Amino acid sequence: MQATQVQPVLTRVSFPALDMLRSERNLVGVHIASALIALTVGIFMGPFQSFHRAPAFVNTFLGQIPVFSYYYQAVTVHGVMLALFFTTLFIVGFSYYVVQRSLQRQIKGIQLAWVAYALMLIGLAMLVFTLANDVQRSAVLYTFYPPMIAPAIFYIGLVLLVVGSWIAAFLVFWTYNAWRKEHPGERVPLAVFAIIVNYLMWFISSLGVAIEVLFMLLPASLGWIQTTDPQMARVLFWFFGHPLVYFWLIPAYVSWYTMLPKQAGGRLFSDPLARMAFIMLLLFSIPVGVHHLYADPGVSQVAKFVHAFLTFTVTVPSFMTAFNIGASLEIASRNNGGRGFWGFIFKQRWNDPVVASQLVGMLLFLAGGVTGLMQASAQINITVHNTSWVPGHFHTTLGGAVTMTFFGILYWLLPLLRGRALFSKKVALGQAFTWLVGMVIFGFTMGEAGLNGAPRRADLANSPYMTPEAGLWLNGAAIGGIILFVSVVLLFINLIGTLFFSTKPVEGEAPIQTKVEVASPAIFERWRLWIAIVVVLCVIAWGPVFVEALDFTNGFTAIPYTTSGAPLR
Amino acid sequence: MHIDRYERYWLMAVVATLGAFFAALVATLVVFGVSLPSPAGRVNPQNLAASEFAEPSVRNIGGNRYEAHIVAKMWQFDAGPEAGSPPTIRVPAGSEVTFYVTSKDILHGFQIQFHTVNMEVVPGQVSQATVKFGRPGVYEIVCNQYCGAGHAVMYGQVIVQ
Ligand code: HEM
Ligand SMILES: [Cu+2]
Repeated sequence: MQATQVQPVLTRVSFPALDMLRSERNLVGVHIASALIALTVGIFMGPFQSFHRAPAFVNTFLGQIPVFSYYYQAVTVHGVMLALFFTTLFIVGFSYYVVQRSLQRQIKGIQLAWVAYALMLIGLAMLVFTLANDVQRSAVLYTFYPPMIAPAIFYIGLVLLVVGSWIAAFLVFWTYNAWRKEHPGERVPLAVFAIIVNYLMWFISSLGVAIEVLFMLLPASLGWIQTTDPQMARVLFWFFGHPLVYFWLIPAYVSWYTMLPKQAGGRLFSDPLARMAFIMLLLFSIPVGVHHLYADPGVSQVAKFVHAFLTFTVTVPSFMTAFNIGASLEIASRNNGGRGFWGFIFKQRWNDPVVASQLVGMLLFLAGGVTGLMQASAQINITVHNTSWVPGHFHTTLGGAVTMTFFGILYWLLPLLRGRALFSKKVALGQAFTWLVGMVIFGFTMGEAGLNGAPRRADLANSPYMTPEAGLWLNGAAIGGIILFVSVVLLFINLIGTLFFSTKPVEGEAPIQTKVEVASPAIFERWRLWIAIVVVLCVIAWGPVFVEALDFTNGFTAIPYTTSGAPLR
Repeated sequence: MHIDRYERYWLMAVVATLGAFFAALVATLVVFGVSLPSPAGRVNPQNLAASEFAEPSVRNIGGNRYEAHIVAKMWQFDAGPEAGSPPTIRVPAGSEVTFYVTSKDILHGFQIQFHTVNMEVVPGQVSQATVKFGRPGVYEIVCNQYCGAGHAVMYGQVIVQ
């Protein structure tokens, strides 16, 4: 191992089967632990939201659904904690682990990594504080569209989270550069390759939301400026918003491409095609964001159709992934004794929670991919935009593929970090399959409710416009919510059990790839080239949208308002 | 770079399917004239009195064609005194109504259930959509963009007679 020769001073943690640096264990551990805190705060809201929206439940309990009283506070907590903090903290921690283990060296500038962590933790604390403390004014949802303005601390906390993730990204680039210098001509392991792609995409796209927050929302919240431009804010937000979903998804792909084949008992079908898929995600995930703005008045049809076209393009790497992972799973099942044409589907290690969780994520992703492709078509989008269909869709992607893959990762990573075996495999399997059933029901019923006219983000049960059909479907969604609640409880039994009650030593080893067996074209690592293409594509696809959104007639004229209905000042 | 034969077939099938989807998308635009909301003008939300939204209303502009100017605000749609509050817009079956909607305060949404009207309503911008009401019935107008505490009760109705 070359890296240990270069840096001989690093101490290794001496748990059995745990090959990890102490410094690394601590760093990764705090990120995962903090991600779990965010998960705990956010996830219990989910089922109770679904109860709150179900007429049958609300009428049975006379509106006394426990856990929260103000619906929009709950939705804000749920969205902010899960979509922003749980994901980002988990991804940063997981990325540190993958980069350090794959390159077999400590992250560069580890002190900075701790600074970044501190920033993100303070950000988390600020958000929890303001969401609990300033209930009405903080309830701006995780998309925080102006002119609804939250307390400044809300934005400051989010800025700290993003700045922390930028530092983490920079440290990964730095570590990669150092490795590159020592390994001329070699290919970087696929997992690290994907994480570099992810952080590049994240950094470029988050500039949009950074401008929105730093130049519009935060100054308005502090009272430095009196007005804001809501259409421009939406454009800036969605410059960032679509890459955000790939920022969540790529780490799951890392697990599917570089870990699952081994965990499932096979090997990856094609490494070069995996790299090509990741490069396509880098290029095409930013110039598609207008598909979130199909219903916006301030964006022209031409831009909408250009982005619709590119949206179809960005599904290609996901189809490539479907093939590549499918083929890898087939190899695994043939190794496990699978026979016949369909044999590969069933002959998987369904009894291993690490594998089963990820397979559940993939099954849900099939539904998510189909519904996603449907709503990418502009006309269909007009019938489902801002209806319950949309959360129905993204609970199978973010709440399905991403979340279940992250749980699958937790089921091996947490034992490694803790140095104890997973508390219970059976409970973990129970968790995975209840999640599958719950999400299928939830996603389907939410979709149907949306088609029957139920909007999203609304405390619906007693809405005057609720149709009986939508009401029935929302009752169904609440049944999905009950099953998911059980699943969450099973998850926590295992998390707490593994951390505090497990006594068995950890077994198995981490599914990390340190060498690249098959050479892939060197051009995939010409990062400057790819960044240049991303910039050009962004200018072409987003430039006109920005120019059009600029309001020369009014300037930034809309007044900031709070959620309570009174003007801020 | 080696690409497996089956993977090549798969990719060709994917590209063909996506191409067909996109062609369908363009066809609906060009052939059937389906349109998405797009820039229809700007107004100053603090001075709607000086704009086409000074007096929200639903007007017949000849034959079976109508024009509705609606102002969204926390937490109601204002379609003029005749329509009332929450507004009830009555039109005969077969009418074609063009909606012009803007917001006085924050973001709202404007969706008519079971019809292809679904727009973000943004202060400073005019959202426009034209729709034909074929079948008689009561169709709810829903605010489907989060706008604060009263969001879930912000609505109106179109009654097609
Ligand atoms: C325990 C299972 C879960 C249930 C029952 C659940 C339920 C819900 C419901 C009912 C909504 C809709 C709120 C509305 O539109 O009014 C919602 C929104 C949302 N959920 Fe979940 N959820 C769960 C897990 C998750 C997970 C694991 C994630 C992400 C990691 C997640 C992310 C989101 C996001 C981002 C929103 C959108 C919030 C917004 O519109 O502002 N959910 N959830
Ligand atoms: Cu509204």
